[in-house]
Amino acid sequence: MDDRRATPRTVLPAASVRAASVDIYAPQWRNFIFVAPFLFFFTTLLLVPLFWGMWLSFHKADTFSSGNFVGFGNYVRLFHDKVFLQSVWNTFYFVLLTVPTLALIGLFLALCLNRRTRTAAVLRTLFFSSSVLSVTIVTLIWRIVFIPNVGLLSTIYGWFGATAPAFISDPSLAMIGIAIATVWWCIGLPMMLFLSALQQIPQDIYEAAALDNANRWQTLRSITLPSIKRTFVLVVIVQIVLQFQLFGQAWLMTRGGPNNLTKPIVLYIYDTAFRRWDLGMGAAASEVLFILILMAAMVQYLVTRNKAGQA
Amino acid sequence: MKMKKVLFAAVSAGVLMLASPSFAATELTVQRFFGACDADFGTNTDVAKAVGECGIITSLINKFNADNPDVHVSVSTVEWPGYDQLTAQFASGEAPDIVTIHESALSDYQSKGLLMPLDDLLKSVGVTPDAFTDAARNGATKDGKIYGLPIDSWTMLYHINMDLFKQAGLVNADGTPILPKSPEELLAQAEQFKQKTGKPYFVQNLANETALYTRNLYTYLFQQNSDFFADPKHVKLNTPEAKKIVEMYKAIFDKGYTTKDLDYGGAINAFLAGGGGVQLNGTWVVGDNNAQSETKGTALNKGGYAVYPYPQLFAGAHAQYADGHTWAVSQKDRTPEQIAAIGKFLKFFADHDFDWSRTGHLPAYKAIIASDAFKALPHRNTIAAVADLGRPLPSAVQRQFAIQDIVGEEMSAAITGQKDVDAALADMESRVNELLANI
Repeated sequence: MDDRRATPRTVLPAASVRAASVDIYAPQWRNFIFVAPFLFFFTTLLLVPLFWGMWLSFHKADTFSSGNFVGFGNYVRLFHDKVFLQSVWNTFYFVLLTVPTLALIGLFLALCLNRRTRTAAVLRTLFFSSSVLSVTIVTLIWRIVFIPNVGLLSTIYGWFGATAPAFISDPSLAMIGIAIATVWWCIGLPMMLFLSALQQIPQDIYEAAALDNANRWQTLRSITLPSIKRTFVLVVIVQIVLQFQLFGQAWLMTRGGPNNLTKPIVLYIYDTAFRRWDLGMGAAASEVLFILILMAAMVQYLVTRNKAGQA
Repeated sequence: MKMKKVLFAAVSAGVLMLASPSFAATELTVQRFFGACDADFGTNTDVAKAVGECGIITSLINKFNADNPDVHVSVSTVEWPGYDQLTAQFASGEAPDIVTIHESALSDYQSKGLLMPLDDLLKSVGVTPDAFTDAARNGATKDGKIYGLPIDSWTMLYHINMDLFKQAGLVNADGTPILPKSPEELLAQAEQFKQKTGKPYFVQNLANETALYTRNLYTYLFQQNSDFFADPKHVKLNTPEAKKIVEMYKAIFDKGYTTKDLDYGGAINAFLAGGGGVQLNGTWVVGDNNAQSETKGTALNKGGYAVYPYPQLFAGAHAQYADGHTWAVSQKDRTPEQIAAIGKFLKFFADHDFDWSRTGHLPAYKAIIASDAFKALPHRNTIAAVADLGRPLPSAVQRQFAIQDIVGEEMSAAITGQKDVDAALADMESRVNELLANI
């Protein structure tokens, strides 16, 4: 089976003692110990719940008991539920609102702050600082801004005798309000990823461009943007995966209202499984979300693999 | 010598550790809503000094701990109504010993065998169900047994800014407010109010709200004798009676007779600042509002504060939606000391129900309702009628909080114009029935 070991043994019998002890590629079961802790937690915290969730989604189960097998019954109910379909649309709408904004503003900030001045360093810290806050603090801050009559926005509009838009309760504005809070909260990571990508572009390309009399716009379009293309794709896909999981902001700012217009899939799952105790249907909705996120992750895998192939 | 000292210290420590359990107080975990106010009442044991739900319950538990050195109650406060946590706690076997549960939510937990029947325990400490008011006893009884110690009955009320009512000319000769007797009168009076004061008649918390809408609907369905939960497993809400109510509230919304974008806290602040005539809120703010009306310089001090049950707008039963709070006890293995400690705690709350009724809630005990001390509390002459008017949903209806969310969402959609009234009522009915069919 192992040809490499067999060949020297026949040609050079004297070396066989040494050769037998040097194969570092041979499987050694004691190496398993190094990955065992990871495998243990991976299995117990990810694999088991994953398959348990799938099993639950085919059962009529509540929080305190798992009942009869219902086949695809929960899925059928799910796709007949207007609120679920609304929550799927809400999630896509939210991703559509936030991901391009995060990518573009993140890129813009990175381009502006990619310099070695003290002001840039301070601003980088400042823009990143919101990312360290918990969702509770973020939503509290934005509620103070948006709250009618006494909120910051109302006060500012009040100076001009105008009425502030009702970002928390207006059906057409509520999701935009949540998106604004989310962009403010999450802008740090895309900015940092773009900054690190920008700093990896070799300086000599810019010097060559300067020698060719390229203006700023040409440099940006022909050098900077093509060089950070992969980071751009990474930022977009990471953000899609993250924003698909919207929960805290919607729960704390609007409770999914008005009339479910800001209820994302995760909040639907929470509502169904833990507030109505309909665990089977909640599990079915989780599987749908799992497939959606899996698709986004597969796209990331395919895109990055192709790029690697080209390079 | 040194060794001797160390040995002596070690033995003493060991003896202390062994001995301490026999002196230790019995630990009870209590979980409640009603908010947190430790900054104001964290150490207060003088219940008479406390005001509001949070102040009174915090002070009562402090007093219990002070009066009973053999029992120690540790409290965890949850955001109202706290059932998501409680359900998760039950599911993971970590439920608190004693917990606040609405009468409307008792059957969810009782039907799963998660709560302890309290008849024998209450009897052992001298609390008998015949002392409860009918509303409290019915609310706390499931399948013939008591599953929670009722501490009050509550309902929604008309909290009135009398200064603005006077400006609007909506005051009788005897100084009482003029309240409507039909939907048409309500709209006419609201219009008159708006014309005269420039302010909305109602201060409502409509921003992402469900409970208020639902309670309004239930109340006026009762007043039209609509038996919408004749079958606890199947609701009938797509009815002409429900449509009348939704259309009435829609007219109030469309014509600007109500505040629109306020959340719960915002609505309270707006009412206290004189932002409208009538705030639709529960019995629990009577104490706070009355305290405001006695404070110089406030909007409620200007012309006074009055509070009434919902007016009778329809020709049917004299009724309005009501519920109650109880202390329920989780089902688990306990030592006789722990059970005795729970009995003491429940008895303490039964004995101090008058203090709790200062919040504005109606007492759960007949003797307290009949007492002079209760009658002497401000505004009780106008709201005591709720003891007879109050009506809950049938106790066999499960998931009442989840139903409340659905009803409230659809009503909100219809009233704010997101949905056609008929479509909203049809969706409301089918969504509730889908939920009930899958319990």
